[in-house]
Amino acid sequence: MAGPVKGAGRVTRLALLTAVALTIFLVEAQIPALTAIPGVKLGLANIVTVYVMFAMGPGDALLVLSGRVFLGAMFSGQMMTLIYSSAGGLLSWCVLCLLRKLLTQEQIWLASPAAAVFHNLGQLLAAAAVMRTWAVMAYLPYLVIAAVLAGLFTGIAAQALLRRLSRIQK
Amino acid sequence: MRAKVIGFLLAAAVAASAAFLLLRDRGKISPMARITRDGVVLEEIALDQVEEPRRFTLEDGRGRNTIEVERGRIRVAEADCPDQVCVRRGWSGDGTTPIVCLPHKLMIEIVGEEGGLDGGAG
Repeated sequence: MAGPVKGAGRVTRLALLTAVALTIFLVEAQIPALTAIPGVKLGLANIVTVYVMFAMGPGDALLVLSGRVFLGAMFSGQMMTLIYSSAGGLLSWCVLCLLRKLLTQEQIWLASPAAAVFHNLGQLLAAAAVMRTWAVMAYLPYLVIAAVLAGLFTGIAAQALLRRLSRIQK
Repeated sequence: MRAKVIGFLLAAAVAASAAFLLLRDRGKISPMARITRDGVVLEEIALDQVEEPRRFTLEDGRGRNTIEVERGRIRVAEADCPDQVCVRRGWSGDGTTPIVCLPHKLMIEIVGEEGGLDGGAG
């Protein structure tokens, strides 16, 4: 994998990746909800998160993720959802940090469904805290299944991206 | 090796979720709808005692939800939130999953007559 990029090159790359992630996020937000289950979505912007985590490292991934989550909530006009998405984002980031140590280069696609499951779990925990009830946990089984399916999709996409982009990086 | 373990755990999580959804206990004999915001109960409606269908609007600083009640069932008919998840959720009459409006922190649960906190958890 590419060596550490420093200084202006790193800032430029992070800004570019955040812009890419934000664009994907906002385009996906235009698609009406796929199901009537709160929190179910494809999460295509996480292709970028997984890419940054494995190609550049945890710190850079956290920067791109938090930038995208914050700006995404602001641009889509749903500041209320910031609580849910940052809880989910933080938990899935922790899982990705762990999996970065465990998985080989060819197994990166597996990281995404695992991270997605924990993203949805974090989101539900935040919802349970906000609404002060565990009743929302009734959605957990739906969200686990949806997360694995969506995560496999974004994981395979991230794996392909890493393979292609490793040729560009020096 | 590690990948196999992770793959197995994911498959197990999906299987457990699917099994839970298929095998859970559904339905309450005397459904009671409880509407809460921020965990505070706004209204409790005995769904089996509703004579006439009625609509009412719950409003606060965050937004508006119009609730519709009929005998044995309840739904969010209109909401001014962007995602409309609560409206698309449709009618609810059993305790399997609550209707939630995350942007407005509003929730409609179906609870048993005793009003157990986690009704429907099977």
